[in-house]
Amino acid sequence: MGVSRLPSAALTFKQFLQRQKVLGIYRNMLRTIRQVPDKTDRKYLSEWARDEFKRNKNATEQDAVRMMVTQANKHLEELQGSLALAKS
Amino acid sequence: FIALHAGILQSLFLCHGGPCPCSTVSAPLRLSSGPLALRAAVVPAAPLHRALSFYSADRRTRCVNRFPSLDVLCRQYGHLPPLTLESIEERVLYVLKLYDKINPEKLQATSHFMKDLGLDSLDQVEIIMAMEDEFGFEIPDGEAEKLMTPDEIVQYIADKKDIYE
Repeated sequence: MGVSRLPSAALTFKQFLQRQKVLGIYRNMLRTIRQVPDKTDRKYLSEWARDEFKRNKNATEQDAVRMMVTQANKHLEELQGSLALAKS
Repeated sequence: FIALHAGILQSLFLCHGGPCPCSTVSAPLRLSSGPLALRAAVVPAAPLHRALSFYSADRRTRCVNRFPSLDVLCRQYGHLPPLTLESIEERVLYVLKLYDKINPEKLQATSHFMKDLGLDSLDQVEIIMAMEDEFGFEIPDGEAEKLMTPDEIVQYIADKKDIYE
């Protein structure tokens, strides 16, 4: 009884959700960056996002990840805000 | 009656984004979408609507004659060669080969991005975004994360674009 059939390396449900969240933010970020009009800016920003996500990809601590998620959301909002301003 | 007519025309311009200073070129273009909406609005006022559509038609023909380049400007729909399964696969593999973290020699249509090519989930997100760029449509998140081999991507795109053997 109680022996899990999952491999020991499998994520817990919470970790799984967090991972989905991070990937969702990354996707949103790339989608937003795609709307940047200038080509060099676009390239710079997508490289920035990629580096930033890759740099922390081995983080496993829940609280640390949650903080980074908040930070990423803030960056995303900022980016969307300035894009909206640039368009108007 | 004419005053009313003019008033309606004016409101037509207004609802299409302000009165236009250059009435010769832009007026017919705006008008061409106008009478349809107007017809719906003033069905009982038959004489008015006839007069108006006559007016706009007259205006339009005159304008096209005066600006022969206008009908060239009017409608040009993008036309691409039809997609086939082979061409989709070719494009998918081409995009993947250009992706800097994939070794082109190891790449096969059935290779799993994470297990065979050693990519991580962030790379997979990037690949799907590149596919969206290449094929010009958006792949929803829920489906995007299931696409793990080039074959699955090809199949997915073919399904979305209604292409079968």
